[in-house]
Amino acid sequence: MWQLTSIELYKIFRRPRTYISFAAITALIGAVQLGLKVDGQSYVDFMIGSISSLEIEGNILNGYLICYIILQMLLVQVPLLVTLISADMISGEANMGTLRLVLTKPFSRTQWLLSKFFAASIYTLLLLTWMACMALFGSMLIFGTDDMMLLKSSYIVILDDTDVFWRYVGAFGFAAVSMVAVAALGFLLSIFSENSIGPIVTTMSIIVFLTVLSTMNIPFYNYIRPYLFVTHMNNWKEFFDVQVNAENQSLTGTIQNSGRIINSIIVLLLHIVAFVGAAIVIFKKKDITT
Amino acid sequence: MQPVIEVQGLSKHFGTFQAVNDVSFTVLKGDVYGFLGQNGAGKSTTLRMLLSLITPTSGTINVVGQSLSNNRTEALRQMGAVIEKPDVYKYLSAYDNLRLFARLSGIKPTQQQLMQQLEMVGLAERAKDVVKTFSQGMKQRLGIAIALIHEPSIVILDEPTNGLDPQGIADIRNLILRLSREMHKTVVVSSHLLSEIEQVATRVLIIDKGKKLVEGSASALFDPAQAVVELTCNDAANALQLLQQSQWAPYLQPQRQQHIVLKMHRNQIPDLNAFLVQSNVAVYSLQPKHSLEDYFLQVTSGAQHVATYQY
Repeated sequence: MWQLTSIELYKIFRRPRTYISFAAITALIGAVQLGLKVDGQSYVDFMIGSISSLEIEGNILNGYLICYIILQMLLVQVPLLVTLISADMISGEANMGTLRLVLTKPFSRTQWLLSKFFAASIYTLLLLTWMACMALFGSMLIFGTDDMMLLKSSYIVILDDTDVFWRYVGAFGFAAVSMVAVAALGFLLSIFSENSIGPIVTTMSIIVFLTVLSTMNIPFYNYIRPYLFVTHMNNWKEFFDVQVNAENQSLTGTIQNSGRIINSIIVLLLHIVAFVGAAIVIFKKKDITT
Repeated sequence: MQPVIEVQGLSKHFGTFQAVNDVSFTVLKGDVYGFLGQNGAGKSTTLRMLLSLITPTSGTINVVGQSLSNNRTEALRQMGAVIEKPDVYKYLSAYDNLRLFARLSGIKPTQQQLMQQLEMVGLAERAKDVVKTFSQGMKQRLGIAIALIHEPSIVILDEPTNGLDPQGIADIRNLILRLSREMHKTVVVSSHLLSEIEQVATRVLIIDKGKKLVEGSASALFDPAQAVVELTCNDAANALQLLQQSQWAPYLQPQRQQHIVLKMHRNQIPDLNAFLVQSNVAVYSLQPKHSLEDYFLQVTSGAQHVATYQY
């Protein structure tokens, strides 16, 4: 299996288009960092404008906050970058005509599909690792570190700077599961098409459609909302909500609602298994007529 | 001879369309087995079923004594194939493509073995060039190298001369003969060109509209006594009149465009030429050829049922 997976990784990383995603992430993060470095104070003034009665000391606009801002912005775009590769995994082979030559080689279709999915997942993880390096370490380097202040809808969370890093590790880990779920959906759709555009557009359309459904506050949709994987994709933010004591002080090393994180991870993992399982069942019966 | 591929009652429906209808045949060890039929006859569908790219609606396929459906991986290990166009990864070099497909086949050949394989198909000098710069003929030869990299005992080539220039066609023909004679491979080759199959095949199956028409030895099927000869000369009307009044009249066939057509034994061609020259007809060409259409007509007019010639 590893042999097949390594071959798929080799193919992914020999294609120039693979690096477009890395370049796009670098450019986007760089643009945010540059903007905030040049005129970050305006952003901070806007952010704390409604709570100007507070006296704030220290470096609010530090690397931790910048990374949070970047994650909020980019985790909406990353599914597209992930889909560019995952939705091309099978359809790209059909489009190039290599599918029929590859499938005459002595291995099972299940092995081949799993190796392709693992390769797409590894690509996704590498993309997120690159994003973490750029957004977190890059911002820490440029903006320094300090306590992290987050404005929630009705309260402020202040995290000690020694209590932040592990939360990012958790948040990126959670984001990885979310993005692998997106990759799995793109992967499933790629078996139905003989070109990459269809599965990429369909995957993104499904994500947009389900996101709209999951954010609509209509009672009818409340029943299905917990079962939609997109509902859970933003729950990486739960890592940055802490428990507080009777004096309303943050308790270091705690998460306010860890159960929600676990529940979301289970739902996302179930979706991954369902998407990949369906892909295997359908592809095993598929006639290769390209 | 030991059978290496045994096909029984193979059928395939795509919805209401019946692409292959109850086809049975046996490929023997060492055969160059010609799979002949017009475009859309069901050749590619049958070959794809042999390679498990398409699941048969009914019928059985055994490869080297093992059921394909129960031992797919083992059966595929015995076969190497190029189906239709040999599409490979265009952004990789010939060498990298060959290495990649070798690893997909579960083997790790040395650099020397890979270069030897490329040498065999005449691509050693272009080994490091990316495939998108290759001609169709070069891609076809690379496809064959890929099919052979895991040393299969059976080689399946689907329309290998499609889109090739005359030199490319000759190269592929010679390669098929080498595979059979020097490397002792069993080769299954499909084509819609009778002339191509005639020059390489030891046994032939003809398929039309998904149904098997005939199967048998090439020498029996391509009977030299049934050669169709096309005559091109300076004055076709005069030549036709001369032939009609001579001993050659029984051999005359309906005229095709500007050509006079005769059906005769190949050995009679020199005599025909001598007669025409003596009659002061300037002969430009006397070309013996089989036409698939003629051949089909001949086969189907004689018997609508499946015919098997001598083995």
